[in-house]
Amino acid sequence: MTQQPTEQPTQRSPERPLTDTATAGPSAGPRRRWSALDVWTTVGPLAVFIALFVLVVSLRPAFLGGGGLAIVATQATAILLVALGQGMVLHVGSIDLSNAANALFCAIVLAQALGSFGGGAIVLVLVIGTVIGVLNGVLVAFFQVPSFALTLGTLGILQAAGLIVSDRTTVYAEDTSLLTPMFGTAMAGLATAFWIGVVLAVALWAMLRFTVPGQSLTAVGLNETGALFSGVRTRAAKISAFAISGLLASIAGIMIIAQAGSASSTGLGSDLLLPGITAAIVGGTAITGGITNPVNIVFGALTVTLIPIGAAALGMPSEAQSLVYGLVIIVAVALTISRRRVGIVK
Amino acid sequence: MTRSTSRRTAAANARPAAGSVDGAPPPALRLTRITKTFGPITAVKNLSLTVERNQVVGVIGENGAGKSTLLKILSGLHEPTSGVMEVAGRPVQFRRPQDAVAAGFGVVHQEQSLLSNLSVAENLAMNALSSTDNATRFGWYRWRQLNREAAETLARVGAAIDPRAIVGDLSFVDRQMVEIARALRVDEQTHATPLVILDEPTSVLERNETAILEREIANLKSVGSVIFVSHRLDEVRRICDRIVVMRHGEVVADRPTGDVTEDDLFKLMIGHAAKADKRSDAGRTVGAQNLVEVRGLTRRGEYRDVSFAVRPGRCLVIVGALGSGRESLARTVFGAEPFDRGEIRYRGDVVSSWSTVRATRNGMAYVPAERRTEGMVGGFSSTENITLARTGARPRFVLNRAGQKKLAREWFQRLDVRPDDIKLSLQRFSGGNQQKVVMAKWLQSDRLRVLILDHPLRGLDPGAAETVNDQIRIARDAGTAVILLADTLEEALDMGDDILVMRDGDVTARFDLSVDTPTTLDLLERMV
Repeated sequence: MTQQPTEQPTQRSPERPLTDTATAGPSAGPRRRWSALDVWTTVGPLAVFIALFVLVVSLRPAFLGGGGLAIVATQATAILLVALGQGMVLHVGSIDLSNAANALFCAIVLAQALGSFGGGAIVLVLVIGTVIGVLNGVLVAFFQVPSFALTLGTLGILQAAGLIVSDRTTVYAEDTSLLTPMFGTAMAGLATAFWIGVVLAVALWAMLRFTVPGQSLTAVGLNETGALFSGVRTRAAKISAFAISGLLASIAGIMIIAQAGSASSTGLGSDLLLPGITAAIVGGTAITGGITNPVNIVFGALTVTLIPIGAAALGMPSEAQSLVYGLVIIVAVALTISRRRVGIVK
Repeated sequence: MTRSTSRRTAAANARPAAGSVDGAPPPALRLTRITKTFGPITAVKNLSLTVERNQVVGVIGENGAGKSTLLKILSGLHEPTSGVMEVAGRPVQFRRPQDAVAAGFGVVHQEQSLLSNLSVAENLAMNALSSTDNATRFGWYRWRQLNREAAETLARVGAAIDPRAIVGDLSFVDRQMVEIARALRVDEQTHATPLVILDEPTSVLERNETAILEREIANLKSVGSVIFVSHRLDEVRRICDRIVVMRHGEVVADRPTGDVTEDDLFKLMIGHAAKADKRSDAGRTVGAQNLVEVRGLTRRGEYRDVSFAVRPGRCLVIVGALGSGRESLARTVFGAEPFDRGEIRYRGDVVSSWSTVRATRNGMAYVPAERRTEGMVGGFSSTENITLARTGARPRFVLNRAGQKKLAREWFQRLDVRPDDIKLSLQRFSGGNQQKVVMAKWLQSDRLRVLILDHPLRGLDPGAAETVNDQIRIARDAGTAVILLADTLEEALDMGDDILVMRDGDVTARFDLSVDTPTTLDLLERMV
């Protein structure tokens, strides 16, 4: 079969002068431009927070003068700390449903012990929180219990433990002078406690971006088997993610006492779990793992806190506040959830 | 399936020959200056291609040459950035896969696209037009009809597969036959002249199955046209009337089959001639001590009482059919699977609590057959993948980003990885280039002592395969012990110093190639 008509249009096309591709050829070099998606992945959570804040201020200018941002930062502190821990666990492809309960348990223990042990009580609480995280991690890593089921179990246990330690009442810390600087002092108008959360977020971001253990965590989240077959200590990575979550939960517990001076199973901090997860996701964290930017979780936590406070400032009735909260969260998640690297979202 | 072949052919020929000047029928497919870009990357550049009626056109090219993109354009998965596509003389635009089906295009994808939880018959009925055919009535399956039609289609490709079987339970080869059957079915469900597009359909088929496919393609020529993409140059020359060679997204040659030899094709594809590489033992660093020694190793259900030893600078090839247990054995040596009895000695010492972490740290490397799921972290860039392996005795804490980039650039150049973008996430590279990066991950370590490779050439084009084989030889010559599970027996005889033959978990033969000269038939006899 000879192919007379087809020979001439296809043969030796590279030799022909191709004006339209001359600029897009390999001469452009290996440098890559940032795509719009990359840029949005980086600044989306900040942009969403700013947009909401501007919206609230434009409708109620008094919100700005009345220290609205300071209130939001103060209220966001515990959510931020829990969300950062959640972000690290989500980063390795697991979830920690117990970290909010861990925070509250730590707050109750601290309220009981602060009067008698002072600074020692703070160290004790940090250790307790971390150990609970490590236990979660060990069970997930070595016994291959799905983290969702396992931490749901730990959540129940910690709630029960909190009830026992608090004797089902509100526990008042005897002497909170050690912790008063947390919310008693401020930098740039925002509580010191909030800045501690920001510093921790930056530290976690640097860890993920610039260190070998951070790379291991990311590798486990993106492809655990691939990481394992490259000699990455995948179990250690998971345990450390849960340990960080536990440590940050205990810090959140400390902040609860610093803010309220007391703790109970139904008081301040008893409703941190879902806002914590939401803050992580609004901060652009992929629930499939491997994509977490702790700095953006700061904006996620601020957004999650701003919505109810802003709605109240605008004088909405309480049932409307819930509605607005739900709607805005859906929009915020739709705008900020990471779609990079993964085509599908579970 | 009541329509006869002759009726379909008649219908196709009766079409008005739109677009033709002299009355001859227009070509089944004409692509003019098709370009497809993904961001800064140009996957297909100014591609022009014509497929005449009743013609088989072969498309060959290295991994990353743009063949897969071309096929995705033809199957409606990608819209071209620019260019014109004409089917039977009429310009068409495929916005979704259904458009391609409606135009009579049937595609067998390289990555299998069957739904593994459904039956064979359901998969065969599954396409854009199945809701209008007679396999369903009021939305309910007509199972008898469905199964009978499926059986007839399967019989056409000579496959004895039960239409009621669940696809997930079939072997890879059977699934491939179902895919081919499904692509061939397009002419029964549309009135368009069929154009069947086969993307490397034979890469995992056995010889006799390939013969069936070749016969089926010959049948197809009488009713439609075929685009056949393959890596096997001999096969392309046997099956195709015309061969189109792609390189770096462009068509570099379009010749009648009679005008080119296999060597010509290789040269056109790769850009240089094939090396006449024969095994030479000179210049090798061969150690005297066994580096890896396995004694009486048993894993229940996989392999029994296996013993072998590998010295530095030597290559042990393990051959065996499916179920021989060799894959599990290789994974056990790397610490990825446990064993029940026996021992593994590494550098003279019996290993205890062996794991991938320990193996990696002690200089072992493993290139798995499942590249995407096990060999690499797709979401990471090539740079991150190349530096992922934890080979150091004491890993550093802070990532040395500048050093990593330098390393990645060096290996990209050495292995000719394309596109030359070390920051691009690895999942966006073609299979051959991904495998080069996986190789680089292990080869960059100066502590590499043992290289275990499970089907390292699977799905690679000749150029990438040559690069990978060269790198294996270089590592071996520098004193690395190699354990290779080869794809083909020719490759085993070419690369190996020792050959271990396994069947159903037992070692059935050993050959020392410095003494023995077994043929592929000798090996085959002990494998099955």
